[in-house]
Formats: sequence, structure tokens, C-alpha cells
Amino acid sequence: MDGIHDLGGRQGFGKVDVGEKEEAFHSDWEARAFAIVRAMSKPSNWTLDKFRFTREQIDPVNYLSRPYYDQWIQSYAALMVGSGVASVEELASGKSSGAAVDLGTPRGPESVAAEKDHAAAQFERPYDAPFKFEKGTTVRTLPHAHKGHTRLPSYVRGHEGQVIEVRGAFIFPDESAEGVERAEPLYTVAFDAGDLWPGEDLDHAVHIDLWESYLEPV
Amino acid sequence: MSADPQKETGDIHHELHSHLPPEPALRVKAMESLLVEKGMLDPATVDAWVEAYSEKIGPKCGAAIVARAWIDPDFKARLLENGTEAVKEMETAGWAVAHLRVIENTDDVHNLVVCTLCSCYPHAILGPPPNWYKMAAYRSRAVREPRVVLEEFGVTLPDDIDLRIWDSTSELRYLVLPQRPAGTEGWDEERLASIVTRNSMIGTHRDLDPSAGSA
Repeated sequence: MDGIHDLGGRQGFGKVDVGEKEEAFHSDWEARAFAIVRAMSKPSNWTLDKFRFTREQIDPVNYLSRPYYDQWIQSYAALMVGSGVASVEELASGKSSGAAVDLGTPRGPESVAAEKDHAAAQFERPYDAPFKFEKGTTVRTLPHAHKGHTRLPSYVRGHEGQVIEVRGAFIFPDESAEGVERAEPLYTVAFDAGDLWPGEDLDHAVHIDLWESYLEPV
Repeated sequence: MSADPQKETGDIHHELHSHLPPEPALRVKAMESLLVEKGMLDPATVDAWVEAYSEKIGPKCGAAIVARAWIDPDFKARLLENGTEAVKEMETAGWAVAHLRVIENTDDVHNLVVCTLCSCYPHAILGPPPNWYKMAAYRSRAVREPRVVLEEFGVTLPDDIDLRIWDSTSELRYLVLPQRPAGTEGWDEERLASIVTRNSMIGTHRDLDPSAGSA
């Protein structure tokens, strides 16, 4: 989706707020919002990519202006409405007008400490087919994306880069956002900034993780 | 899903925006109450996550990893080879990150981490990211004019340095291993960890200051 979220290389956003106070949360509601998202029960088809795609569809004005954790809550609210878990009216009032949702007993506080003993979510998957590219291969990214979720940023589309690492086979986000789990080889690809933005006298490299179907052989 | 899921979700966002209270704090409060009523949330678990991320998980976890890598060359080699596995050796490393990649700064290389598409960040090791990491100015500019961005953070890089920007588009999480500064010879791990800043592990800080260390 060619949305406002695809910010790499865009211009006009001004300086970075480097004076921000260094603390985990700047207000109680931020901490609460962050923790609610960690603690809440979620249907299994609410994948991380589905959540990301939902956030990408917040309208551009709100995407750029509403606080970050407010957008998390907005996105989970949209997922709840879209999945029939809650209505807009219920989310506005905070009061349930229907039956409880059967997603099992919500996780208790002991789940927080227990998470330390488990690996966080694993996105790598077994994969039997051969990998198309190897370290050192020059590849070209697709010139365009599609209207769904994708992790191929617009600023690298249609450019040549070099595979610097083969990472393994990982869940493909474009399909995961639609509830389909399929793994695909993932590569870290290096681009010369001078190729991405010619004429700007740039000498750095941009390294990006890209899935195999975003790439074509050169 | 209908034929045009994009429109559908966009419509839901608009409807929510016009009906939910404008104040974020009120939206969050309503969401929490509703989730509890729906049987989808235990408020005590929310309290426990707030406590974990306010007190236990944060930049000091990353700093401990960096200090260990400075002191123990074998650990450093394991960390650069497979960050996920190496971090499991740490008692205080925070929560697990399933796919951790540690990238090393040297005299000739500087690394900078960004997520241009959202805000991917090694939460479990550095805590929640700063706002600037999630905002448009950093996300748009870090890949295109990183030297200018770094100047805003007070970092001036040598002209001939190999500058590498890492755009976190996948589930790999990147952590910068900053250089150990001179003047820290003989320091123990804890003292070394005290000079490691959060920004140095993102790449928006480069030269760590030994005088900032606790004795």
C-alpha cells in the first residue's frame, strides 16, 4: 500500500526532537496503552502484519498527528470492530453491550515473568525449496508494490542492490497480513544511497531486509 | 473479508475517529474497561507489564550486553555471530528477542538503525523506543541524510567512515555495539555498563564518555 506510513526518503518533516526526555513512558496513559496491548487476548488471526496493515490505514492526517500509542489503541479498536469483537459504540463508551468474547481466560500477571523464559515470537520457518539468491548476488527490487500490506519500501523500488546476508526463510508479511502463513527466503540487501538519490553527493549504504519475491535477478 | 479490505478498514478508522473521545487518555481508559468486561484482559497483567517496562526492561539491559562484549572476546564473537543465542547467557538481558542481530561500530564503520515503515525496535532489550524514533522526521531522513540527522544529535562523523543504515523491515531486530572508549582500562562490567547510552545502541550517539561512568 502506497500509504503515508512509507516514510523513507520523504522530505519536509523538519528536525528530529533530540531534546526528548529519556524515560520509558511520558505519561500514565502511554504506559497503560503499551501494557494493554501486551496483556490482552487476541484472536489468532490478528497477526503482527495484520496489526501493522491496520495502522497503515489510519488516515494520513491522523497518522502524522495522533500520538503513537493512541494509534496502537486506534488500530486494535479497528481490529475489534472489523472482527466483530466490539462495536464502535462500545469502544466509545467503554461498556460492553453484548456477551463476553470467548478467547479463553485472559493472561494473568504471572505471564509477564514467564515470558522471559520463552523465546519471543519466532518468525523463521522450515523451507524446502532452494533459495534463489546467495551472498554477493546483485538483485533488483520490483518497481511497484500492491494495494495490500508490504515491507518493500517505496524508496528502494526498482533499484539494484547486493545481497549481503542470507537470513533464512521467514513468514511473508504481505500474505501474513491477510491471515495466510507462508515462509519465503529473507535477504539483507545493501543499496548505495547515491543510486537511490542521485545528485545528492551521498556516500552511505542502506541495508534492508527484503523477501525473495520482492527481488529479481539482474 | 470483502473485495476491498483497504476501504473497509479505512472506513472503520474514520468512524472510530468521529465517535471516540479525542483525548488519548480517555480512549485508553475506555478500551481497558471494555476489554475487561469482554473477558479479554486482566488489569493486574496490565499493571505487571507497566512495572516490567518501567523498572526492569530498558537501556540498562542493552548496556549490560555491550559491557560483557567489551570484556569477553568470546562472548562478543558469539554475540555478533548469533545475537539471539548469545543474549540468553545474560541474567539481566531482558526479555527474549527472537531474531537479534548485533552490528559493531569500529574506527572505520558507523551503524545507524531506523524503521522507515513503522517503528520496529528491540523493545525487550532497550525498552520502548523514544518518540523521535517513531516520528516522521527521523524515519524519513535517517536513510536519506543520515549525516545531517546525526549532526542534530551532536555526532560528527569523519568524512571517510563507512556509514551503514539498517532499515528494520523484517522481524530481525538490530542493536548497535558501540566502541569501548579509551580511559576505561581495568573497569569491571558494571562500571562499563554505566557509560553505555541508549542512543549509542541505536547509532545516534558514537563517542561514549568515560567521565559519565559511576566509580
